[in-house]
Amino acid sequence: MVLQEKAGIKEKLAILADAAKYDVACTSSGVSRKGEKGMLGSCEAAGVCHSFSADGRCISLLKILYTNECIYNCKYCINRCTNDVPRATFTPEEVCSLTMEFYRRNYIEGLFLSSGIVESPDYTMERICKTLHDLRTIHRFNGYIHCKAIPGASPELIEEAGWYADRMSVNLELPTAKGLQELAPNKSRSTILTPMRQIQNGVEESRLALGMKGGNQSAYWYTQKRIGRALPGSQNGQIGSRLLHGTSGQEKEVTKEADIIQPSKATALTKWENRDISRGFVPSGQSTQMIIGASGESDYEIMAVTEALYRKFDLKRVFYSAFVNVNQDVTLPAWNTQPPLRREHRLYQADFLLRYYGFQANELLSEKRPFFNTYLDPKCDWALGHLEEFPVEINSASFDTLLRVPGIGVKSARRIIKARKTGNLDFEALKAIGVVMKRAVYFITCQGKMMYSFLKIDEDYITRNLIDKEPDVMKGYGEKVTYRQLSFFSDSEMSG
Amino acid sequence: MDKMIRVYQCEDTVDGILSAIYDAGISGYGHEYIRIEPQSPGYTTNRTLFSEYITVQTDSGKKDSVIKAVRSKISWKAYAFMMNALASDFSDRGDVVYRFVAYGFTMGKQVCEALQLPCVKRIFAINRAVQNEAHYFNEFLRFQEVAQEPSLLLGVIEPRHHVIPNLMQHFGERFISEWFIIYDKTHQEAAFHQADGSWELRLLTGQEAKKLEELTEKQEEYADLWKTFFDHIAIVERKNQKLQTNMLPLHYRKYMTEFH
Repeated sequence: MVLQEKAGIKEKLAILADAAKYDVACTSSGVSRKGEKGMLGSCEAAGVCHSFSADGRCISLLKILYTNECIYNCKYCINRCTNDVPRATFTPEEVCSLTMEFYRRNYIEGLFLSSGIVESPDYTMERICKTLHDLRTIHRFNGYIHCKAIPGASPELIEEAGWYADRMSVNLELPTAKGLQELAPNKSRSTILTPMRQIQNGVEESRLALGMKGGNQSAYWYTQKRIGRALPGSQNGQIGSRLLHGTSGQEKEVTKEADIIQPSKATALTKWENRDISRGFVPSGQSTQMIIGASGESDYEIMAVTEALYRKFDLKRVFYSAFVNVNQDVTLPAWNTQPPLRREHRLYQADFLLRYYGFQANELLSEKRPFFNTYLDPKCDWALGHLEEFPVEINSASFDTLLRVPGIGVKSARRIIKARKTGNLDFEALKAIGVVMKRAVYFITCQGKMMYSFLKIDEDYITRNLIDKEPDVMKGYGEKVTYRQLSFFSDSEMSG
Repeated sequence: MDKMIRVYQCEDTVDGILSAIYDAGISGYGHEYIRIEPQSPGYTTNRTLFSEYITVQTDSGKKDSVIKAVRSKISWKAYAFMMNALASDFSDRGDVVYRFVAYGFTMGKQVCEALQLPCVKRIFAINRAVQNEAHYFNEFLRFQEVAQEPSLLLGVIEPRHHVIPNLMQHFGERFISEWFIIYDKTHQEAAFHQADGSWELRLLTGQEAKKLEELTEKQEEYADLWKTFFDHIAIVERKNQKLQTNMLPLHYRKYMTEFH
């Protein structure tokens, strides 16, 4: 093992950025905070991307490990203790000055601090807390901070970090407890779910005491509220578990363990008096991530777990990470296979359908059909299985009905509702609104008419055209015009 | 055609276009027979027969009264639409804003949602183009420290539209206690922000612009560290240049530290 104790800051940065790159969540969203005199920074609720790396992923935060030394031996992880890789450890001061100076130059939106586990979970968490404390109180940093809660760290240290961070996350690592046992022998479901529950309770308490400033609700929460379903949260344990068992058929181990950890009635936050509460406790909520394709779960199992996490742990986001076999471990899928990127993409699409569109996991997949269609996105796939609900009349359909039409997103559905108050909409207006016509055209009517008379509402016909590079709809455009023109003024996607 | 088209020719500035809109509006000549034509320097008029040409005198009083009327009789959102459209580089913006405002005075605040109307559709698209560009620069603008004690940051952009007012809403708050300059090379204008104070936007002389450009030639330690981070954060197994270019188009990279 190479210990780079005297390494310069540049070498350390190279090693610790390399070590952190497999963490997925680089988002800076979920909290809005104004700039203040004497401080540096502000936060935008929608998040801001600052660059895109060679793999096309967004760079929003300075994503680094505090140290890549680790006492654990998780099979999938590049930093496991049995690996012979260069090791380095930052000092709190180094992390602070990198964050401040990068931020001033508008390179980043804030800091994403994770760490290998050095000495013990408590020691590691204590170093993270010290770094965040210095950044907020000495350097007066007012930008975004995301930090990891180290599984197994004491509740006091988790709370301490939560008063400085905007978002915290505990990695679920693998979708099922069985997978975790096999691949991460030093971690257990309960050391992961305990801090998750603690943070959830803390955020709820902070929200009760401080209002929106203490932490806003998740997109999932707002969607459930709009549709009139039971809201997520630890108070809803019973409804959450009924839903879980109802959807899954067979009980999954994660849900069983999630039930074991009952929502604690005790106060989660104990440090109100002696901490700066102006930002609230983890105001941007918590997220988690899991590795896709290292163990044998189906998409259906993954979506069921995701839904359980949104319902029972009130998470803001669940991230999926296509497995890259960095260790060439023989017990894992072969190292020369490509990371399952398409599968990861489909899971993210389905995740958005849960959070913003009001879909439920069992509407998209089932025990009998446990994997997503590779060729069609989950929404088109769903629509093709429910052709009896189409076509939808743009000028009269409800918001939730519009949302289920392929090619219509949350923004365009809202614009349609507003615009049709001032007069009937035609297909030209829909283009201006931002509806993706090449998908929507099979499923909608404007004043009773479909866009082209040759369109058929037929599963085979639509499937063939959705997949085809030169579908029938092209006929309607003539030779010169292509679909590309439609996206010319479309909104920039701001999530990362 | 029974009535002649009346073309209001004005200065190619916010004040100029709004003065023309004011004159055209109170003339009562009839909206469909009115055109607004901003005349940028070097612009040659393509005069048509059977049109009447009127030269508009720029008058900030007229500008103020249009702005006041839009805010009070339509809405603040309409005002934002109008100002963003005027900050754009599209040559039809005078006409579009005129028609949008005319509809607004009869429809009220609903006009902003009425995407069925061609002029609203167009102002909506222009608005989106300007805001998208501003948003890109919020993300991709890079500062460098060009002086110390006190520290001074300088960022250079080459936008299509006049996005500095939009950018200053963001950076003025975020870097409230910093001294910084945002220099728009396309329009030769720059915003100067004072730490804990106000900021001003002004046109630069050739010499000032040259001075600013010389300042950016210095190399910085943190720029080097940033490039190190940028290179190491990518996952080789997932390399995807097409996705990167989609998300971060090449022309924004000209002044971005990590691509130099």
